[in-house]
Amino acid sequence: MKKILLVGFCFLIGFWYKVSLGYAKRTILRMVGPEDVNGAWAEIIRRFEARNPQIHIQYLSGPWSTDDRENMYIRSFLSGDPFEIVYMDVTWTAKFAARGWLLPLDRWFGPEKTRVFFPGALKAGYYRGHLYRLPVTTDVGVLYWRRDLLPRPPRTWAELEDLCRHYAHPPGLYCLVFQGMQYEGLTCNFLEFLWGAGGRILDSSGKPALDSPAALWTLNFMQHLIKDRFSPRAVLSFQEEHSLEFFLQGRALFLRNWPYAWKIINRKGSPLRGRVGLAPLPARKGHLSAGTLGGWGLGIARGTKDPEAARAFIEFATSAEAQKILHLRRGWLPARRDLFRDPDLLRHSPYLRELAPLLEKARPRPVHPAYPRLSDTLQKHVSAVLAGVENPPKALRALSRTLTFIVEEPETGLLKRLARDYELRRTLKNTLFFGLVSVGLEFVLGLFLALLLYAPFPGRTWVRLSVLIPWALPTAVMAMSWQWMLNNPFGVINDLLVRAGILAHPVDWLASPRGAMWSAILADVWKTTPFVVLILLAGLYSVPRELRESMAVDGAGPVKRFLYLDLPLLLPFIRVALIFRLLQAFGIFDLIWVLTRGGPADGTRTLCLYIYDLAFRYDDLGYALFLTALFFLALIGLSFLIVRLTTLGYERRR
Amino acid sequence: MRRLVLVLLGILAAAYCLFPFYWTVVTALKPPERVFSLPLTYFPWPLSLENFYQVWMKRPFGRYVLNSLLAAGGGTLLCLFLGSLAAFRLRYLPVEKALAFQRWLLAGAILPPTLLVIPIFMAARALGLVNHLLGVALSYALLNFPFAVWMLYAAFSRVPRELDEAALLDGLSRLGLLFRIILPLSRTGLAVCAVLTFIFCWNEFLIALTLLPDQSHYTVPVGIAMLSGASAYEIPWGEINAAVALTTLPVILLTALFQRWILEGLTAGAVKG
Repeated sequence: MKKILLVGFCFLIGFWYKVSLGYAKRTILRMVGPEDVNGAWAEIIRRFEARNPQIHIQYLSGPWSTDDRENMYIRSFLSGDPFEIVYMDVTWTAKFAARGWLLPLDRWFGPEKTRVFFPGALKAGYYRGHLYRLPVTTDVGVLYWRRDLLPRPPRTWAELEDLCRHYAHPPGLYCLVFQGMQYEGLTCNFLEFLWGAGGRILDSSGKPALDSPAALWTLNFMQHLIKDRFSPRAVLSFQEEHSLEFFLQGRALFLRNWPYAWKIINRKGSPLRGRVGLAPLPARKGHLSAGTLGGWGLGIARGTKDPEAARAFIEFATSAEAQKILHLRRGWLPARRDLFRDPDLLRHSPYLRELAPLLEKARPRPVHPAYPRLSDTLQKHVSAVLAGVENPPKALRALSRTLTFIVEEPETGLLKRLARDYELRRTLKNTLFFGLVSVGLEFVLGLFLALLLYAPFPGRTWVRLSVLIPWALPTAVMAMSWQWMLNNPFGVINDLLVRAGILAHPVDWLASPRGAMWSAILADVWKTTPFVVLILLAGLYSVPRELRESMAVDGAGPVKRFLYLDLPLLLPFIRVALIFRLLQAFGIFDLIWVLTRGGPADGTRTLCLYIYDLAFRYDDLGYALFLTALFFLALIGLSFLIVRLTTLGYERRR
Repeated sequence: MRRLVLVLLGILAAAYCLFPFYWTVVTALKPPERVFSLPLTYFPWPLSLENFYQVWMKRPFGRYVLNSLLAAGGGTLLCLFLGSLAAFRLRYLPVEKALAFQRWLLAGAILPPTLLVIPIFMAARALGLVNHLLGVALSYALLNFPFAVWMLYAAFSRVPRELDEAALLDGLSRLGLLFRIILPLSRTGLAVCAVLTFIFCWNEFLIALTLLPDQSHYTVPVGIAMLSGASAYEIPWGEINAAVALTTLPVILLTALFQRWILEGLTAGAVKG
């Protein structure tokens, strides 16, 4: 018997190793990118492997969200077994390089090899004088305008407003759509407005420079666009595809987007084919406009076992041949200037001629190791201004304060940071609100359900089983289900409320901070009430029946019996459930991470999401651990407090 | 009359608890093009398995399931093994001491796992177990250890002490006693403990998300959470709902089968704790 167990166990472990390692052994180099539509990367890799048969490239298709892929890379660097080829966005370079996660590429790629790239795109690959990233594709924010409806593209924002007053008539035809959701794209949009007004985020010495008239004008102007119906309120939930879709339906005169949209606007069957022009973004009068530089590039992770092989792949993937494939199959813009004069490409995409000067002028986002935090903070406040929950001067003050804190942060001690950590206060407030409200509701509902299930009625077993089920289902998975149920307009919750006449029209629950918070609470109450029910039900069963009967004989009504018999005897059970639930609710992560990721405008970000981001997104393990320890102590204190409060006097004397 | 009200309330409660799951299944069973059509249909007809087919064939869902089975199964086995050793040792302590020890263990188990994820990640990195299912299985075993000890201790104490003495007199070793007498005799308790631990591991999200950055190692919950960002143009809600239905179905079946024991196992703890 013992032997069989042992053999079985060894077999299992062996099987495990085989399955889990099977993947890694076949390949040498891994890279993570988005889903490889049209097989552009597959083609590049096929050609490369045909010439270098000893090297295998494994293209892992990650999530579409850039942030999620960045986090994948960060976790892989932290794990000590990094993905060898780092396929990165322009903004990642500084942070990855500052942490020492990348190999410098200077020794392989000198100026004679890098001259062919656009200067802005190349510069984004430098950190402290060393090259860490070679550009593969470039991108720049541009303005699309309806050539068929408008006489000329605007050069300034004032001209754009004039044109719109004349030609636009919301809600049928809005003026401008851009990307206003809380994500990296919002930073790009904001920067373009800001640059066009002569402002910037960081000055030349790296200090925040947002306390400026230009910044104030920018926020005011963006808010004005939405408030005065130049842009639909829906831009608040727009990413690139949503805004393009809106524009394609003919519902806006102008669209701010990346060049990839050109192909989609002009493909066969598109309603706007040949009716749209491409122009530089407008600026404020007297200032120069600039589009945000985007694009992807390749670097090598430190710790790669065969850097030569990685170099060979990078050299091929940045060659004219590979960039041509990427353009022809995916429509991505090459990072090599020479390709913009390539007759082949120009015949295929004549608009490249108009884009080249815009790319030469494109401006990179600030190169700073803490860029992700800068950008996250920016998005949070800009989206709060767009949503109308913050006024521009207040947002700017909060922004300057937080940005200064982030930039100066490395020099300050833990305690000092704690005292100045404004984000922490906000997340703490959310955590307390979420925990107290949802646990409170759970207890009310839980007590009710427990009393119901205690009373005998036909079919009780079945009801008990169904009450048990939400508890057993995976939180993260059901959070997806809730996201679907809360969808607008296809969500069932909207549908039910509209049918019942409670709502006049569907609501975007997850798009407003308050709606998202209540949605999270609703989902949490649904999911965890069963636990409270189970514990309280066990408590009810533990009350001796004889006592209850003798009380009834003595003339005590049901309310009295509950208050003087059941409730005191239930106390130990209530205590267990309360401690357990409060601790779990304050430590909530799965549900909120999947449902809202803490957004919008940080309205649902709780303490654990903040700590998790600190540790695995901002790579700030020290401070994250410090906060964890404090949190831990607070929870222990809370548990003792609850025990003390729910212990009756006569019990205490024991 | 009173009965009727109770039954109605019971039906209402059941509907409230089951509705999200029902809605998931209904959405998953709609033909893909009907998922995004208004007005919503609550009893769709005809049904279609297209979404299930898509999620199974187009996406590496089978791989996620295998990973989940390995991580959760491995974690459960490991946890039961370690837990029964510990519970067996506690059997030979005076009852008060054993209970005090378990209370401390439970104090650890009651902490939200979010607090432990950073230390666990650091430990796994030191052991070279990041991006390896073994690391996740080990963490699962660790996280569920207190709970398992506590359930198994209760199960073991139903086996009379006299049997121990008799078996030892007959020449069995201590481990032999555990594996040949006590474990077989408390198989109900063992099974309940296994089912609950398995459900917890199967449902776990945070550790799997953190320790397994490589997509080929995703467990089901992580895979599903990442599905929303898998396509540029729209969120494939039909497929996501199919995946959710596939993931939750085994849990529901397990819960239904073991309902009575789960209730007992969980509530026994509440009485003591």
